[in-house]
Amino acid sequence: MEGLLKLWNDTGIANFTWGQGIMILVGLALLYLAIAKKFEPLLLVTIGFGGILANIPNAGLALDAVENAIASGQLDSLVAIASALDVSVTGAEPLAKAYANAGQAHHLAALQVARDLGYENGMLYNFYTVAVASGAAPLIIFMGVGAMTDFGALIANPRTLFLGAAAQFGIFATLLGALALDMLPGFDFTLKDASAIAIIGGADGPTAIFLASRLAPELLGAIAVAAYSYMALVPIIQPPIMKLFTSEQERAIEMKQLRHVSQREKIVFPILVLILCAVFLPSAAPLIGMFCFGNLMKECGVVDRLSNTTQNSLINIVTIFLGLSVGSKLSADKFLALETLGILALGAAAFSIGTASGVLMAKLMGKFSQHPINPLIGAAGVSAVPMAARVVNKVGLQANPHNFLLMHAMGPNVAGVIGSAVAAGVLLAIVG
Amino acid sequence: MESVNAGFSLMLIGMGVVFSFLTLLVFCISVSSKLINRFFPEPTATTHSANEDVTQAETVAAISAAVHQYRQSKV
Repeated sequence: MEGLLKLWNDTGIANFTWGQGIMILVGLALLYLAIAKKFEPLLLVTIGFGGILANIPNAGLALDAVENAIASGQLDSLVAIASALDVSVTGAEPLAKAYANAGQAHHLAALQVARDLGYENGMLYNFYTVAVASGAAPLIIFMGVGAMTDFGALIANPRTLFLGAAAQFGIFATLLGALALDMLPGFDFTLKDASAIAIIGGADGPTAIFLASRLAPELLGAIAVAAYSYMALVPIIQPPIMKLFTSEQERAIEMKQLRHVSQREKIVFPILVLILCAVFLPSAAPLIGMFCFGNLMKECGVVDRLSNTTQNSLINIVTIFLGLSVGSKLSADKFLALETLGILALGAAAFSIGTASGVLMAKLMGKFSQHPINPLIGAAGVSAVPMAARVVNKVGLQANPHNFLLMHAMGPNVAGVIGSAVAAGVLLAIVG
Repeated sequence: MESVNAGFSLMLIGMGVVFSFLTLLVFCISVSSKLINRFFPEPTATTHSANEDVTQAETVAAISAAVHQYRQSKV
């Protein structure tokens, strides 16, 4: 009878908290969006599943050894951890708080005590430490994106870089929005939190995760989910804004065909970007460096094996661990907060402002350019490669069935990737 | 309010750096493209265009002959 009782106390049903139940439903909702609606399936399947795993009661997959010891609720474990942390609290919750606020030395001491008591780090916690906390996974993905990107359209018409720059206004406007929200009761965003939230406007998953892991790890789950959800929603969010700021005639403008770009120009390009980054903005070096490395492997043509691995198997493997690690941050106490709603709202604002400023910049450039510029291509300045460029093409075709803007929109699109990496570098340098 | 001021200055600095970095990049790309195409043009590009002219002339001739024949058959 006693054995049966012990088994019952170990089941999920006996230990479910409300928060965990809701978070498992959130995970299932992400899976539904990914599988039935095809929203960024590569990321949302892995993040959603990671979120479910992280919220299984008693399994402690997303917790480290100390947190697992505290969660066990065994009195002798609690006392041992409390003495290692040099605090005199009893009860699991205040102890967990004391552990979260403790310095590195106390962390280490508590970890050793927990290990001695036989507790281990959860699997997802280990994934997170290796893949995201180290910064490795988002950077490797960025290298893969570099290896998949063709800069031909940008080199043929370098002025489209201005569109990529203008669209980054969404990031900084959102930063202000987050700081303004901080003044409302219930929200508590520091400058670091606000910067990490604002980068959602860069519409670039790996950049957002990288910056969030540096500046605001506790918000990482919400930021990543918001970033990837909105990237999937680009075809719905962007067209109304694009139409709001342009007239039917402007949308029908046809652009001059792009010139041919030689392989040598394409090889020199990543090296050029890297040198500029090294000279003027070293804080963006992790992102820009990996991106340029991937692109050079693609364009130089002598390391096809490496290039193929980078843009296929490697990026796939890393995506699995990145998704599961991000999912591990979908814990109830962090995600089920008013702040998550704020982050979702700010993310939508960031996308919309970025799109609008890109379009307005394109209109301005059209006034001074000798070749006609279709203002729609400015909307592609919010990276989200290649979805944003496809949306531009589609809206352009609606206005003029002979107008193929895809190649013209690829220029600002890849410029947006560089732009958001530069913006991330600025935020890291000033706030980090 | 203090933090919003900090946000404003961050916005000015941020947009300034993004724009100046990308402006510099525009300049460097334009210059390097000109230099590369001037001093290191792609070797295959020149021989190709000569061939293409011939084939294009032949194609044009063939098409106009076909159009001519088609129009005559219609009358």
